Amino acid sequence: MTYKTNKGGLSRRSFNSLLGTAAFATTLPTLSTQAFAAAGDTIRIGWIGPRSGPLGIFGEADNWLAGLLAGTYANGVEISGKTYAVEVLMTDTQSDPVRASQATKDLINSENPDLIIASSTPETTNPVSDACEAAGTPSVTTIAPWEAFYFGRGGVPGQPSPFKWSFHFSFGAGDFGPLYVDQWNKIETNKKVGMLLPNDADGNAIRMGLIPALEAAGFEVFDAGPYENGSSDFSNQITFFKNEGVEIINAFPFPPDFPVFWRQAAQLGLAQQLKIMQVAKAGLFAAEMEGLGELGYGVATGAYWHKKFPYSSPATGLSSAALADGFEATIGKQWSQQAGANAALLDVAMAALVASGNPKDKAAVAAAFGTLVADTAVGTVDFSKGPVPGVATTPLVGAQWTRASEGPYPFTLQVTSNALAPDVPLTADLAPYKIGG
Amino acid sequence: MFEQLLQAILQGALLGGYYAIIAAGLSLMFGVVRFINLAHGDLSILGALITLSLVQILGLPVLAAIAVMLPLMAVIGWLMHMFLFERAMKGGFLLPILVTIGLGAALQNGMFGIWGSDTRSLGASIGSLAWSSWYLPGGIILGKLPVLIFGTAVIVIGALHLMLKRTGLGRAIRATASDPEAAELCGVDARQVHRAAAAIAVGLAAIAGVFLAMRAQITPYSGPAQLIFAFEAVVIGGIGSLGGTLIGGIILGLSQTLGGLISAQMSLLSGHLVFLGVLIWRICREEKLAHGGWRAGLKAVLGLSSKRRKLASGDLS
Repeated sequence: MTYKTNKGGLSRRSFNSLLGTAAFATTLPTLSTQAFAAAGDTIRIGWIGPRSGPLGIFGEADNWLAGLLAGTYANGVEISGKTYAVEVLMTDTQSDPVRASQATKDLINSENPDLIIASSTPETTNPVSDACEAAGTPSVTTIAPWEAFYFGRGGVPGQPSPFKWSFHFSFGAGDFGPLYVDQWNKIETNKKVGMLLPNDADGNAIRMGLIPALEAAGFEVFDAGPYENGSSDFSNQITFFKNEGVEIINAFPFPPDFPVFWRQAAQLGLAQQLKIMQVAKAGLFAAEMEGLGELGYGVATGAYWHKKFPYSSPATGLSSAALADGFEATIGKQWSQQAGANAALLDVAMAALVASGNPKDKAAVAAAFGTLVADTAVGTVDFSKGPVPGVATTPLVGAQWTRASEGPYPFTLQVTSNALAPDVPLTADLAPYKIGG
Repeated sequence: MFEQLLQAILQGALLGGYYAIIAAGLSLMFGVVRFINLAHGDLSILGALITLSLVQILGLPVLAAIAVMLPLMAVIGWLMHMFLFERAMKGGFLLPILVTIGLGAALQNGMFGIWGSDTRSLGASIGSLAWSSWYLPGGIILGKLPVLIFGTAVIVIGALHLMLKRTGLGRAIRATASDPEAAELCGVDARQVHRAAAAIAVGLAAIAGVFLAMRAQITPYSGPAQLIFAFEAVVIGGIGSLGGTLIGGIILGLSQTLGGLISAQMSLLSGHLVFLGVLIWRICREEKLAHGGWRAGLKAVLGLSSKRRKLASGDLS
């Protein structure tokens, strides 16, 4: 059982990351593979993720999770009567799609992994999936709307899937409609919704899909128009929302833009008139809320994993609650949704390798995904019932950041809507937004 | 409609205060040292992150943290100029640009190594100042933080202006800016003056970074996006002119908010368009001065000078 980081030379960034946050990676146990004889008996999983750069927060848990996987399979995994050692090869994308593609190709050429896995944002999952598709190496990815994976890479509705090697499981852009309708109907509002959608792929996809869904559910939608990411001023949008008297705002901002908008909204009196501030894309991490301070209490968001999910992760051997606690103990920060989401990625990867019957046969591994049903930290992932071939969906729950009743962290994430995941218990009622919580 | 226009103008002008602060250091460096520091944005983030650590780890009040951070950043600026920029400037005009690009990358990743990629903000540390506002008659709302930033911009740039006009260091800086050799002949140590300018510029960058951390949130990678705004404000206001930088920042802020009134998509774009327009106007004006008149100048810009026309029609022989 071996655990190692990519040996492709010590780059400037990996040097820095060694110095910094991920220093503990070097201290993870490196066990010998000798016990399992020939190299043909070792399953090699390539894990490509953003661990440095602007998306680095998504990859914070990765090294820890890989270490947990190493512990679970310390004695190997038995598949069709044969015991295989499990080796995870960690590669950093540096948050760069071009680098993600190159790193995937390099990993395939130099290490010939049996399966490649990747997580978080289409900027990571799409280039990795494309490189695997081109090289004929099976891959599975998660945490990017499945529409971005399928249609964003050339899949056409109603036609056979063009993808033979790449697979994906995630929530979808279409989930936001039913989720928000359920969440927003929990409190009394005038049903006037202001939409703050940027002029980017996500913003425009949401504009096309979500606005009609909300209107069909009886909400009156006011779209402030596509703005450019990185804007320093939102006064025109805020004045528009104020004049229309909206009580709900739904934003899909580039994360650094949200505090700029939200502080200005409070300065100009918009936050004081709102009942629900529903944000997606931003607001996933407690650190963002802590940066907002008083303004952060009551901001509503969506969650693809929560420590109250009633599921366990077989690959890491931990329940959802234990994953959250382990994250806090190891990383030294409040648990993030990435802990469970990326544990689920390992769950699916191991389930596919086991189901293949022969993990060293790439075609068998790819074929296993066709009917794969895996128990994971985010619930049952069922590839046989996907919206399109090779894709499985996972649920989103509605959530709200509230003031923690006890320390050490100031914010706590409450589950306030479970329409898409009825098994997940609600932890609080959605509270109308009020500055200071 | 009138109220909305007034609101957009006020918000744009206040936003301009932030742009002016981040542009002032860049402008000073270019005007005095003739040095373009592409790591200016990253240095401002460094200042902000140091302030954040002083506030969040040592528990200092924000103002005290800024008071500790500013001299530190000034020293960093001084040393950087001494060990890096001076040497780079000896290597021609391209080397300083490459050196500062490299410095920017090193700063970004160094900061990532130390602070990680978490987004951080000072907004939570300044309490309700981050989001409360003054309500004026006529439905006018002024956010306290934007007013504070704008006031600081006016004070800082005004103080710098006075320093340049009234003090010995200011005279030395101006003398060095117009002719380093002649200034040296008069007993001014041009190198020390350049280092002092670099120290002030990095200090200004750090103030801008602190304000960015208050109004938005920052990561180690937030610097380059701010550099673009700083450059635009410098160019609009006139390179090397401090008062112009304040005006340039306000024009940039105004064009963004007024552009946003036309369409949400026009906000950043109209800032860029105004920047390009000013740039083209400046080039044309240079040519006008060089060729003695707008017609000849414009012809020169468009490549329509009489000689080339003859070449094109082939009757040069």
